[in-house]
Amino acid sequence: MPNASDTERPPPSPTRTAAPGPRDVKGTRQALTVARAVKLVAFVAGAVLILSFPNMAPNPYILSAGVVVASYACTATAWNFMGGFTGYISLGHAAFFGLGAYATGLLIRDLSWPPFVAWLGAGAVVVLITIPVGIAALRVRGASFVIVSIAFVLILLLVSQAWKDFTGGSNGLVVPRPFPDLLRPEHHRVFFYLFVALLAVMLLVWWVIDRSRFGAGLKAVREDEDKAQALGVPTRDYKLVAYLVSALFTGLSGGMYALWFGDLDPIFQFSILLGAYMVLMALLGGVRHLYGPLLGALIVGGALEYFKLEYGDTQLHLVATAVLLGVVVLFTPNGIIPAATDLVKRFGPQDSSIREMTAAELLERNENEARRAADE
Amino acid sequence: MSGSLLFQSLVLGVLLGGLYALLAAGLTLYFGVMRVVMIAHSAFLILAAYLAWWFNERTGLDPLLSLVVTVPLFFLVGVGMQRLLITRLRPATLTMMSVLLTFAIALFIEGMIGFVWSGTQRRVQLPYSGSNIEFFGANIAVVKLVAFVLAAASLGALYVLLKKSRFGQALRATIQHREAAQLVGIRTDRVAALGFGLGLATAAVGGTALALDATIYPSLHWHWVGPLMAIIVVGGLGSIPGTAIAAMVLGIGQSLLQVELGTTWAQTLFYVALFATLMLRPQGFFGGRLAQRF
Repeated sequence: MPNASDTERPPPSPTRTAAPGPRDVKGTRQALTVARAVKLVAFVAGAVLILSFPNMAPNPYILSAGVVVASYACTATAWNFMGGFTGYISLGHAAFFGLGAYATGLLIRDLSWPPFVAWLGAGAVVVLITIPVGIAALRVRGASFVIVSIAFVLILLLVSQAWKDFTGGSNGLVVPRPFPDLLRPEHHRVFFYLFVALLAVMLLVWWVIDRSRFGAGLKAVREDEDKAQALGVPTRDYKLVAYLVSALFTGLSGGMYALWFGDLDPIFQFSILLGAYMVLMALLGGVRHLYGPLLGALIVGGALEYFKLEYGDTQLHLVATAVLLGVVVLFTPNGIIPAATDLVKRFGPQDSSIREMTAAELLERNENEARRAADE
Repeated sequence: MSGSLLFQSLVLGVLLGGLYALLAAGLTLYFGVMRVVMIAHSAFLILAAYLAWWFNERTGLDPLLSLVVTVPLFFLVGVGMQRLLITRLRPATLTMMSVLLTFAIALFIEGMIGFVWSGTQRRVQLPYSGSNIEFFGANIAVVKLVAFVLAAASLGALYVLLKKSRFGQALRATIQHREAAQLVGIRTDRVAALGFGLGLATAAVGGTALALDATIYPSLHWHWVGPLMAIIVVGGLGSIPGTAIAAMVLGIGQSLLQVELGTTWAQTLFYVALFATLMLRPQGFFGGRLAQRF
């Protein structure tokens, strides 16, 4: 391993070029295949578990809780397109959720579009509204961006409450059910699968972006925006596209929620709390990981639903959310997936890419190598 | 709009702007010393209002007297928060994570208020609640005037403290350039903790002033977060005079618009100002170059 402190570099000897011996290569390769197999098994098991959930749910209540958790997983994953790739934390993604929900409802009510056409239309509406907002919000970074994102939710809350003729105000907006013939449990089941399908599309898009040049640019923004800009990454356009993708998927989740739940109220759609849940779920799972938000949503969403069932609608769920968010921010800001992998790594073989050598050991090794080279 | 009505809402706007200015000064202090955007500021504001209401309910004394307890208490809480929570965050992601952390604190306070005092709307009843003062033809509620005097006096005291005292000098030095302040021997971590405490003390004063003439409920703080955040962005993050001017202008603007449009639509002024500022001058109208980076 060449080092700046090397005073003279020994010529590469044949023993050194073949540094990782054949046995080592075989070992790593085996470890890789094992890891890949474990991943595949975990993926299949997870997918089977999720898809068979509606059949395992003992009663319609649990099934509806499952639909809620699935919608949380969708929103958290959608949030992660912005939060995870660019590191811009938005507390206001509930705005897009509410916009998607209201746009779906209003397109059905006022223009009598078929439900799922209205749902796609709502996605387009969300993107159109987000373009100017994104251009304004992305002119600033960090804290100002968060402020703007919160402000956007608060504006929409105000407007949707005040503009009674259009949104129904606090009386709510009733969205007609897309499948009027289905019984409640069947309805839940269908929507559970619809949410899971939406989630699958999102995960696929995330996976593709993660491997693309575009994704690399976004990650560069996350790590150091000034350097990324200096290297020629079109940071503004990239951030805007990521913001739009994130908003689109959040809006689609909201629209799906509107079709499922059927009754919209400004306080619950444009709720800062909902935005906070998305952040909490994504952070808890790990924003840099494909399944991080999904895992976070399963934990947080499950806990929330359990909490509601046990303690009813008291103010305590606010306290619990607050404490959990505080703990995550203070102790595992990278999420539990990296924390768990670190833990596993500590018991597994040492990671060879990280040099765990003191300067004295390094010096000794360099001297030995130089001596050996001189001997030859 | 008739002349007297215009004058009336102008005066009311100034009174409101004074309160905004005090609270925004607190937010600016946090941002100045720690680069922290304190979402929980308005939650503490509502907490102070609740404490004032509770004090009045229990003792029957004037809620203003609760300041004797709440101001030192909030100061200590602020120092403790900076020492125990904010400094634990990693410097690289401090600004973002502090937003989330203080957001969590805000939720916690909201939840606890709702849990302890229930979600019922509360209002302090005072012997002078209903009385008005005639001021050049404008009718001004005494409670609003008291609130303004309180806010203006605290803002004045804060100004004197920052400009004249040795501590104030150290604090301003810390805000301007932390490393340089350390080089000349200022213990910036201690100054930052005290600055945080001072900021939270403004929330105690503001909350007590608010309790005098507002109906309070646990989730009220969201109505304050937006305007206050808009004020500090419009004024420029980190500039106390900038935020004071922005607070006055927007407070008066809100008060004038209220007559024509009603309270709900008048609130949107703050957000319109926020987005206009971002489009025209993202660093705020009085902010330095550092504002845009955070």
